[in-house]
Amino acid sequence: MAASAGLALWPGQAGAADRAASVERGRYLVQAGGCLTCHTADRPDATPLAGGRALETPFGTFYSPNLTPDRATGLGGWSDADLGRALREGVAPDGSYYYPVFPYPAYTGLADADVAAIAAYLRSLKPVRQATPDHELPWYLSSRLVMFGWNLLNFSAGRFVPDGARGAAWNRGAYLVRHLGHCGECHTPRNSLGGLNGSRELAGNPAGPDGEKIPDITQHRDTGIGRWSADEIVMFLEYGVLPDGDFAGSSMSDVISDNTSRLTPEDRQAIATYLKSL
Amino acid sequence: MRRRILPALVACTALCIPALAWSATAPADAIKYRKAVMEAMSAHVGAFMLLNFGKVEHEGHLKAHTAALADLAAQAKVLFPAGTDTGDTDALPLIWKEQEQFNKLLTDLETSAGKLRLAVQSSDKPGTMAAFKQVGEACKGCHDRYRKADD
Repeated sequence: MAASAGLALWPGQAGAADRAASVERGRYLVQAGGCLTCHTADRPDATPLAGGRALETPFGTFYSPNLTPDRATGLGGWSDADLGRALREGVAPDGSYYYPVFPYPAYTGLADADVAAIAAYLRSLKPVRQATPDHELPWYLSSRLVMFGWNLLNFSAGRFVPDGARGAAWNRGAYLVRHLGHCGECHTPRNSLGGLNGSRELAGNPAGPDGEKIPDITQHRDTGIGRWSADEIVMFLEYGVLPDGDFAGSSMSDVISDNTSRLTPEDRQAIATYLKSL
Repeated sequence: MRRRILPALVACTALCIPALAWSATAPADAIKYRKAVMEAMSAHVGAFMLLNFGKVEHEGHLKAHTAALADLAAQAKVLFPAGTDTGDTDALPLIWKEQEQFNKLLTDLETSAGKLRLAVQSSDKPGTMAAFKQVGEACKGCHDRYRKADD
């Protein structure tokens, strides 16, 4: 009885199948977007995507919010448009600005269909009531309005536009590296305001997150990964193994476990194609 | 009297010689040896990749590298004696504060490297890649928490 009443609410089998496909696609995009790594607390029993990880930056300590659909502490009640505005413009549903520790300057390139799939997936999660601690910031950043000015200087919104002169793999790789995977957030050096230095894309950041030195992944033969073959890049993204047989530790190890090792082989190949072109 | 001295001597010799040999290893040498073994393991992995992905072909080498890797992995616990947390090393002191957790990762390494050797011996390609992934997890897990990041 309850089951048939429930079924009557769905607009037919095809709709349900589409929804399931969208949720599945959203799950993949959330992995490829690296959402898990920051939005899951750093403890063994943490609920994935329920937030609470402390992100230490030169500008203070930020705590990642809860992305589960809990109404009080998470994204419960958000529309696709709300999520799209947050991801692509860095603005919350109440109109307040996010700090760019959240990589909206990269996610701004996300396609509409991808935003909708991510929204469908996040909505499918079990709501978890878990309040996020307040950020610990210096006085000059305590007002989110400061970010209005920061955005004027350092941020330009805009969807990814494929380059018609390049192949499908290159374009997919560019989308993954620049936007969804936001590799530049760690691998591109920043200016004194914390904005990315676009002329030095992926050239490494001596003062990366948690004080780590983040390597140059351009094709420079000495400072970058110019000596790596595309196959070696693919192997690294899948297994974390460097061409000399060492295994990456540090923050990239989480990125490999949570994100790049779970991509399709085609997507890893696309990333390698793009990186080899830089 | 004499009858008691002899067994005592034997026991002392048996117990003391290894103890003396142990204490005779300078921490700096233990660290150098640890680095040499780590580099050897990483070189075997590097060679494994070139062979496994068909970039080079040498009959029998795949078995040789994975067997050496498994042997070294199975004996890796002795590479971290007390007193080798300072000096010219990237090993973090946390290793000696979390011995149980650390040793568990080394056990994972031993198990996965053993599986890799077996999979290669039986020419089981999917098993080889699955075991290699587990070897990677063990290596990364340890390097992530217990090795100093590049500076």
